[in-house]
Amino acid sequence: MKKILELKGVTMQFGGVTALDDVNLHVNEGEILALIGPNGAGKTTVFNVVTGVYKVTKGDIVFNGEISVVGKKRWQITEAGIARTFQNVRLFGEMTALENVITAGDVRSKSGFVGSLFGLPRSRREEKANKEKAMELLKFMGIDHVAHKLGRNLPYGDQRRLEIARALGTQPKLLLLDEPAAGFNPSEKVALAETIKKIRDAGYTILLIEHDMSLIMGISDRVVVLDFGSKIADDSPKVVQNDPRVIEAYLGVPADAS
Amino acid sequence: MVYGVLRLINFANSEVFMLGTFATIITSKNIFGYADDAEPLTGIKLVYTLLACMLASMLVCAITGVLVEIIAYRRLRKTGSNRLTTLISAIGVSIVISEAVRIFTSSAPANNPRLLDKIYLISYMGTEFYIGSVRIPISAFEVRLDTLVVIVFAILLLISVDRFVKHSRLGKGIRAVSMSEQNSQLMGVNLNKVISSTFFIAGLMTGAASFFYITVYESTKFNVGFELGLAAFTAAVLGGIGNIRGAFFGGIALGVLEIYAATIFGTQWKAVTAFVVLVLVLLFKPNGLFGESLQQARV
Amino acid sequence: MTFNLRDKGAELWEKSPKPARVAIASSAMIFAICLPFLGGTFLNTPISSYEAVLVYPVGLFVLMALGLNIVVGKSGLLDLGYVAFFAIGAYTMAILGTTTSLNFWQILPIGIGLAMLSGVILGLPTLRLRGDYLAIVTLGFGEIVRIVALNTMSIGGPNGIANIPTPPKFLSLEYTLQNQKAYYWTVLFLIFMVIWMIRRLSSRRPGRAWESIRQDEDVADLMGVRILKYKIWAFAIGAAIAGAGGVVFASKSMFVAPEMFTLNTSILILACVVFGGMGNIWGVITGAAILAYLPERIRFISDARLLIFGLVLVIMMNVRADGILPRKKREKSLQS
Repeated sequence: MKKILELKGVTMQFGGVTALDDVNLHVNEGEILALIGPNGAGKTTVFNVVTGVYKVTKGDIVFNGEISVVGKKRWQITEAGIARTFQNVRLFGEMTALENVITAGDVRSKSGFVGSLFGLPRSRREEKANKEKAMELLKFMGIDHVAHKLGRNLPYGDQRRLEIARALGTQPKLLLLDEPAAGFNPSEKVALAETIKKIRDAGYTILLIEHDMSLIMGISDRVVVLDFGSKIADDSPKVVQNDPRVIEAYLGVPADAS
Repeated sequence: MVYGVLRLINFANSEVFMLGTFATIITSKNIFGYADDAEPLTGIKLVYTLLACMLASMLVCAITGVLVEIIAYRRLRKTGSNRLTTLISAIGVSIVISEAVRIFTSSAPANNPRLLDKIYLISYMGTEFYIGSVRIPISAFEVRLDTLVVIVFAILLLISVDRFVKHSRLGKGIRAVSMSEQNSQLMGVNLNKVISSTFFIAGLMTGAASFFYITVYESTKFNVGFELGLAAFTAAVLGGIGNIRGAFFGGIALGVLEIYAATIFGTQWKAVTAFVVLVLVLLFKPNGLFGESLQQARV
Repeated sequence: MTFNLRDKGAELWEKSPKPARVAIASSAMIFAICLPFLGGTFLNTPISSYEAVLVYPVGLFVLMALGLNIVVGKSGLLDLGYVAFFAIGAYTMAILGTTTSLNFWQILPIGIGLAMLSGVILGLPTLRLRGDYLAIVTLGFGEIVRIVALNTMSIGGPNGIANIPTPPKFLSLEYTLQNQKAYYWTVLFLIFMVIWMIRRLSSRRPGRAWESIRQDEDVADLMGVRILKYKIWAFAIGAAIAGAGGVVFASKSMFVAPEMFTLNTSILILACVVFGGMGNIWGVITGAAILAYLPERIRFISDARLLIFGLVLVIMMNVRADGILPRKKREKSLQS
């Protein structure tokens, strides 16, 4: 199986704080990998170093077996094929849902400033194609009925879905979802789980951070557990669920103490 | 200080400074009744007159500062406006104050009577001497009473503010708010009170500065705030914005740089020095010497 | 529910079929073209010549406000040194006009080019800075340009440059001091072009890039938007527009001096953008027209003009931060 993402000996330090400590993990192409751990374990930091928000203190991050992410600019990483959503919804609130996705799709456009200004054929073609693709993505995520509503006027559930649609708009190979189910009620979580599976089936690889265990156990192929910046488990959901170290990390006591 | 707490560059502060300079003049001329060409004072009369002028400036600036906050910034802070909006509001206030004074004074300068005499305490014309065949020049060097008084007072003031921020309850509140507005409120800090106090203290210091300025330079005009405000801001950035001690060093560094530049390039380029230093610092070392980074992405 | 002029206007526009839109646009354009002939009406300005006022400050402020709007209103980059680009355009006209045999039309593209270049030079190192700091640096740049002009004797120093030639006759239109109509129509033409350009860019990739940068720069970066590139383009286009205005200004005033290009002017243009409605073309045009015209019309305002501007800024920001014609707020169907 091809490794679409690999973190090799990644250490991330901020001043005196070590957020990630010699982390080695990989994501296989086409799988759904869940990244879990208690608060502060470093999960979002992993997202941040992979997307280029922070530069790793040590180690390397290899995408698609060939490109090193470290030191690259954020847009270059997106162009290479990694996209993400955010813990707190961060849409372009004053744009419509459709515009949000089209903006994300612009990363694939070749036409530049001059082309847009003078309405050159390539620019017009790309505009049209981009708009159609964006509409399809909205349909795919079930929010095409609000295509022309402003981002900040959407109900919470649609906003979350829009964030995912927007990330998909960049035509990524690897999709990073940061707590996509936050604030959802149980039935919404079930629907989300189905959607995530649908996304994977459409050909994307997914790395997701989540706290809801049943959601994770239901859809993940593999689970990686972080605690205090180190990886403490990396296995199938069932195994990880019963791993005493994982239980201790969450509950603070060894599993057999009572 | 205001930046540290509010992440706001208080453009209006330069105009508060300008008001302080006028306050000193009004106190010495109108309240104490000294004319432009009055004889310098000595002894106890000198001390209490100067203190009165300084206090007047400090109070005027402090009160104005707090008023500015309430009128121009508070509402924006409450409604969570973005920085652009607040910045424009600050610029607006700055313009209103300086224009109001301009119209009131008809653009004429105002002068302060020389109450503290400019006596040279030490004056040294410069000489050189030789060690073997190596020439060692010692250039002219002088210590003047008024500049000495200013420097001593300034240092005293800075030390007090520094201690206040570190040790007093209000000072801790200010530092807490500068680190996290939300958390400090959760911990029971009264946000409005802290912010008003910050502006008040900043105003006190600005007032003292304006008093020092007038004592040494003796003349002011409605537009004196701009260039000095810019220099002040540059000094703060140079030292690391948000950091009081940094500002102190920044101020000294900038002063030295300006004088060197004036000597090498000519005095008409002095104004540009502050700008150029500012631009260079912001481009290459935005943390200044001691301060926080301005560039962190927020994700 | 507050009455939103912009949205009502937008609704009206969208409900109208194509022929109606053409009619509305044409009548607006014709009205603008005919403005110089309305000098005999209540619109007349008591102090300066009505026609001269239409060119400067009204026309040129509108032009510059449109330019600054791209930088501040659309992209969210606070530029407090905008007048520098205006000055560069003006001095280009002044220097080339008095030392070479090039005429206005030949100098115009050069002035625009130089201003654009300065925009890029200013932008490249500074656009990594955030909000307040960008404001200070741009302010510094504006002042540096002015002080350099003040201290450089070879371009006139404090006395500036005089005897700048007027543009040559254009299709029987004469550019004279007495009859400023030709200048006005030149400025109007530039304004029309700029409006066309902005509308074009707004509905396409650059417009989206600028909006996303303004709304959430970090996220835009992560969505693959080319932040640096489009920020520099915003600066460059804004500078080009101001530069064009500067060239016209110099050939109209026939004299330039550093004191004409102060920080105050930058702030005035900013006030126009803010007052009118940041990001919204029509708001900005209206705001600039009003703020530029009123002091000329009503005498007592003129002396306290800057004071009133300051008040406008403070009040507007506190009461209605979006301006008199705010940016699009309601959803409209995406028909281009």
